[in-house]
Amino acid sequence: MNDYENMSDEQLVQLSLKDQDCFYYLMKRYDIKILRYIKRLTTVSQEKAEDIIQEVFIKVYRNLNGFNRKLKFSSWIYQIAHNEIINQYRKTKLRLATIPLNIEDQANLIDSISDTIEINGAYENLENAEKVRNALAELPDKYREILILRYLEDKSYDEISDILRKPPGTVATQINRAKVSFKKIAGRHQLNTGIVK
Amino acid sequence: MADISKNILQKIKKDEVRPYPKQYFLLKRSVIWTVFGLSILFGSIAGAIAMFQLRYAEWDLYKHLSHRPLEFALLVIPFFWLIFLLGFTGFALYNFRHTEQGYRYRTLWVILGSIALSVIGGGILYATGLSERLETAFEHNVPFYRDLQERKQRVCMSPGHGLLAGKIVKIISEQKIQIEDLQGNIWVIDIGDTIWKGRLIPAKNLKIKIIGEMKGQNRFVANEIRPWRGCRGQDRNRYLRHENKR
Repeated sequence: MNDYENMSDEQLVQLSLKDQDCFYYLMKRYDIKILRYIKRLTTVSQEKAEDIIQEVFIKVYRNLNGFNRKLKFSSWIYQIAHNEIINQYRKTKLRLATIPLNIEDQANLIDSISDTIEINGAYENLENAEKVRNALAELPDKYREILILRYLEDKSYDEISDILRKPPGTVATQINRAKVSFKKIAGRHQLNTGIVK
Repeated sequence: MADISKNILQKIKKDEVRPYPKQYFLLKRSVIWTVFGLSILFGSIAGAIAMFQLRYAEWDLYKHLSHRPLEFALLVIPFFWLIFLLGFTGFALYNFRHTEQGYRYRTLWVILGSIALSVIGGGILYATGLSERLETAFEHNVPFYRDLQERKQRVCMSPGHGLLAGKIVKIISEQKIQIEDLQGNIWVIDIGDTIWKGRLIPAKNLKIKIIGEMKGQNRFVANEIRPWRGCRGQDRNRYLRHENKR
């Protein structure tokens, strides 16, 4: 009997091409992550998010033979999810999230980027939490997505480069700009911030 | 929460979704790389003709023209082909971006790389003499291009500054010829002390450029006479023979 749990993604891709049922194990590894990614980036309902993830996995399945082994499978599936969100956005004028993150995600994001941006007492009280939420909502979509990938999805620069199909140098630049942009917006919301070397 | 993956697998089975075959991806990649290669090839052709035109541009005519340096540069620089080169570079960039790893490279480097490839390719075409043949073919077969080149050549009409261009309509004597300039005016040209560049032989209907001095109403003393298209290496003689036959 196959021990699917110990197999690499690439091995599961090969098996899925021969046996559809193996694709289940591949999807199982990513369904929660991709669903969470969709919900972090959009304001869609659970039902709509499930429709999107269905499209994502069907596209992944159709394109299994085109999977580029030079990429990590996880980067490839995130890339397809990113493209599908953009497609849905264009097709249905789906709104990308203006208030995208729940309180826990916001706190995590602030914690994660606090190595370079210090927000003093940001989450000490509800008033500050609201200000952080508003500041994040004002970030341009491209900056919000890149911060989510880096700090909430824990992706490396190279992985983000593969997901967004942008040069790694551009990814690094955009992350820095996103932080600077966040700091400016936070300043407007009278959050006490400072850049930490 | 329902098992989403299970539901999706059921849908895949119900709808009989199948992975696209390997050949589909192979074909897609091949088409992208082929179009990229063709973009570089066409860019090379444009680059080669641009090099050819720049090499044989008659920069020394500047002093005979009433144009300012910038205007003269605009006339001499082969924008037509440089625009083509940039267009094909853009096309190459677009296709390179659609290759599997093409997005990993900065736009500037891809553009510079494509231009460098086109320039190298253009240099090879230029060295083999193909660029000249291609340009001649364009002039003979593409009316728009011929008109464009002729319009550019019309700037050679600056008799007050010692530059005249037109077609020989009559050989009056060994000392004098008659030409019809590009605006249809008839001139008598004194060729007694003239240098004929490019081993030109005076003949009726031969199109020429004349450098000299205006000596009154429709009279011009020629110091130097050049072929209409400039001295352009090996093809020049073929061109002159063609012109002399007409």
